[in-house]
Amino acid sequence: MKIFVIGAGQVGVAIVEALHEEHDITVLDTEASRLGALAGRYDVATFEGDGTSRRDLASARVQDSDLVIACTSRDEVNLVAGMFARREARNATTVIRTSNVEYVELWREGQLDVDFVVSSELETAHAISRIIGVPAARQTDVFAEGQVQLVEFDVEDGASSEVVGVPLRDAQFPRDSKVAAIIRGERMLLPRGDDRIEPGDRIVVIGSPQAAQEWSTLLAPGESKVRDVVIFGAGRVGTAIARLLIEQGMSVRMIETSRARAFEVAESIPEARVYNATGIDPDFLERERIGNAHAAIFAMRDDTKNLYAASLAKVHGVKFTISIAHEAVSVEAFEQAGVNISVNPRGVTAEEIIRFAHDPRTKQVALLEGNRYEVLDVTLRDTSEYIGKRFQDMPIRGAIIGAVVRNGSAIFPHRDDMLEAGDRVIVFTEASDADRVVKAL
Amino acid sequence: MSQAVAQRRAPRRALAVDVPASLNLIGTLGKYLGLVTIFPTAVAIGYGETFWPYVLAGVVASGGSYLLERLTAGSAGRVGVREGFLVVSATWLLTPAFSALPYLFIGGDQLSHPIDAFFEGMSGFTTTGASVVTDFGEISKSLAMWRQFTQWIGGMGIIVLAIAVLPRLRVGGRQLLESELPGPEIAQLSERIRETARLLWVLYVGLTAVLVLLLAGLGWIGVDDRMTLYEAISHAFGTMPTGGFSTQPDSAASFAPASQWILGLFMLLAGANYLLMYRAFVRRQPGRVVRDQELMLYVALVAIASVAIAIQLWGHGIVEGEESIRTGFFQAVSIITTTGMVSADYAVWPSVMLLTIFALMFVGGSAGSTAGSIKVIRHLLIGRILRRELSQTVSPEVVLPVRLNGAPVDERTLRAIAAFVLLYVGAWAVGGSIIAIDSAIVGAGLGPLDALGASATALGNVGPGFGIAGPFGSFAPLGDVSKLTMIALMFLGRLEIVPVVVLLTRHYWRL
Repeated sequence: MKIFVIGAGQVGVAIVEALHEEHDITVLDTEASRLGALAGRYDVATFEGDGTSRRDLASARVQDSDLVIACTSRDEVNLVAGMFARREARNATTVIRTSNVEYVELWREGQLDVDFVVSSELETAHAISRIIGVPAARQTDVFAEGQVQLVEFDVEDGASSEVVGVPLRDAQFPRDSKVAAIIRGERMLLPRGDDRIEPGDRIVVIGSPQAAQEWSTLLAPGESKVRDVVIFGAGRVGTAIARLLIEQGMSVRMIETSRARAFEVAESIPEARVYNATGIDPDFLERERIGNAHAAIFAMRDDTKNLYAASLAKVHGVKFTISIAHEAVSVEAFEQAGVNISVNPRGVTAEEIIRFAHDPRTKQVALLEGNRYEVLDVTLRDTSEYIGKRFQDMPIRGAIIGAVVRNGSAIFPHRDDMLEAGDRVIVFTEASDADRVVKAL
Repeated sequence: MSQAVAQRRAPRRALAVDVPASLNLIGTLGKYLGLVTIFPTAVAIGYGETFWPYVLAGVVASGGSYLLERLTAGSAGRVGVREGFLVVSATWLLTPAFSALPYLFIGGDQLSHPIDAFFEGMSGFTTTGASVVTDFGEISKSLAMWRQFTQWIGGMGIIVLAIAVLPRLRVGGRQLLESELPGPEIAQLSERIRETARLLWVLYVGLTAVLVLLLAGLGWIGVDDRMTLYEAISHAFGTMPTGGFSTQPDSAASFAPASQWILGLFMLLAGANYLLMYRAFVRRQPGRVVRDQELMLYVALVAIASVAIAIQLWGHGIVEGEESIRTGFFQAVSIITTTGMVSADYAVWPSVMLLTIFALMFVGGSAGSTAGSIKVIRHLLIGRILRRELSQTVSPEVVLPVRLNGAPVDERTLRAIAAFVLLYVGAWAVGGSIIAIDSAIVGAGLGPLDALGASATALGNVGPGFGIAGPFGSFAPLGDVSKLTMIALMFLGRLEIVPVVVLLTRHYWRL
């Protein structure tokens, strides 16, 4: 597939990184230095030019591409580039990134002439709200309109002995769920009946949302459902998260340093309690009992501030901290420092955009552990050799099927179930094997 | 040398107000305003009474205004925000003076003294309804009708009327309209100002016509034999602008219960927001209207006050049954909406009830109504401001926008409301003190509490006071200083203080 990427910022780089091996990529950016750095690392064509110039787009041969991704940090540039790309490359799929939820709404109403609009803020908010829904999870994603949930857990010492330390075939798992993988140190196991989950493992579970909740309770018995959340930073990401959590019935408090912004947000989100404070004032944290919140989300613009505020919140007793990590490297640093979960908005956005580069049979992709593992939502070929085979007879070849979507509803297969033509499968695999797995299916 | 002198003198700042332009607009307004005397002239001719005083008043007003307009025509610039304040204040001083002319000419002993005539004129135009008349028998029919008519013209506003009907009035913004319209400017009027002014007047005229028909209908079918067409019109003119003047010495008490109920209900309407009523009746969006928080509180306050008074009336055995409910409702709605028409002499009621009436004088109707006083919306928002203050005492950092009907209210508006209430209470206290001192000096027979009541009733544009100035009494015995003070209070109250007080600041006049 020929992919044309406009913007070599963090999102652009993440996209190139994920797609450069299998696809033919051209990157356009106004800054030569960024392009040089990119070309030094990956085998991609680069073109110095302006995404809002139709002439530049044409001379970079946008018209030859199958997929155009406009992912600069500026909405206006992406919108204009998307429009021009649409004119120049009539058959290409156009995807634009935006940081304004309004454009997403416009696109849903069919008012924007592009194929897809991806909002970093919304994707980040969704990622965080999924994590909050399953507090013990390291990462989670949903498939098939929310019917199937993928959750990655850290197994700790306090976990229930019903599932830990016993052979999988004897363990009492929540119904409608499957352990797709056990990650032990650097090794990944596709589990068989006699494998065991041990403390210290990291496991990947695919199941119904209900089952995901039950897993959470089994693995972390102390952690109750999150109802009371404090969000530090009421910028675009912070407010997008707040709106989503309020919609889910949570009580949300927000802390914003800028007075004007605090007022604006307090006016537009009446359900949230907004404070005009720095969030690192111990008196304030004490007086407002921030430490009693079930979870704290750090969505300020500056990673260092997020980290410090998160540490301070921990000191004040917040057990569950989630931070936005604007720089990809911060993710690791944050987790080293004791932040429970870090979300990189650009990574999330890139992940969302990457799925447009997949085989049309692949509806969705979730990336785990950086980019090491993938969970794919793939429709079976009519000629697939797996059709009509019982699950217990299926050979495990570097992949495991966690769920089946048949006629729009999710099925969590048992040993005797069979795959049918037209089924969609939610399959876990190593990223390097993903292509082979998709072809095999 | 001369340069040094010029430098030493403080530089005289340029005048910030375009006075000629303001005078020009005042002239234009007055020129047309004189035409309203056609109505009392017709009434006088109809009843075979002397009509020259009205014609003369009209000629004086229109002629004088025409001269003013011509004299300032050449230099007239644009009427902006600053000029607006001057125009509104001056218009509201000059118009009552003009309306006092007929009183001066044929008012007899009761009204022909200039201060008394001006008092009655100001009381009429500001829809206060406080009167210095003691013997209604001596007032001619046309003069009584003129007295009622001034309230009706003043109720919805002279300038609002001018904007609505005059084709090329040189008015740029909404400042003029807003200075005159009662209530804080919270709901942004979406229509153009001319459109807004028009629909306000259309609704006002419409409701008045309906009230006249209903009252006259009661007279025709024999339910209320004292309700002639003349009385129906004059009491509609006293009710819709929440005025309170009556042609009868005992006000609404001289009419049948059915008439009182109808008058009470129309007072309730007159005290509601006209723009809201327009939405309900004309655009047929009753759902949105019913959820309006100010309207709900307004209706609730009327209901609570009615019941409170009714219970006390029945409890003290003053009146019983339907009459206690009717009397309670009528007095409550009349005082809350600052109408001041009464169906009973509350001056003789026990003191707890007097205090109730006193307190109700500070309520006022809704914003965008013809009512005076503080107004329900300001009470509502003051309550919310206080609640926020208390929350922020506990959590200083919390940001709590004050909302009205779900929409956040601008902080400036909130400050303006707090300032208004402070000014209002201040004006009331100062006015009350002056009246009390003056009454003590001239021996008017008005005690300190009654003086404060007189101040409250004038500032709130309510009408009746307490003691000798009670519902069936008169302000005639007051000294001239007290009367002038009340005139000033009525004027301040009608324009809601700020547009007038602004004129007293240096910043207004000089750049």
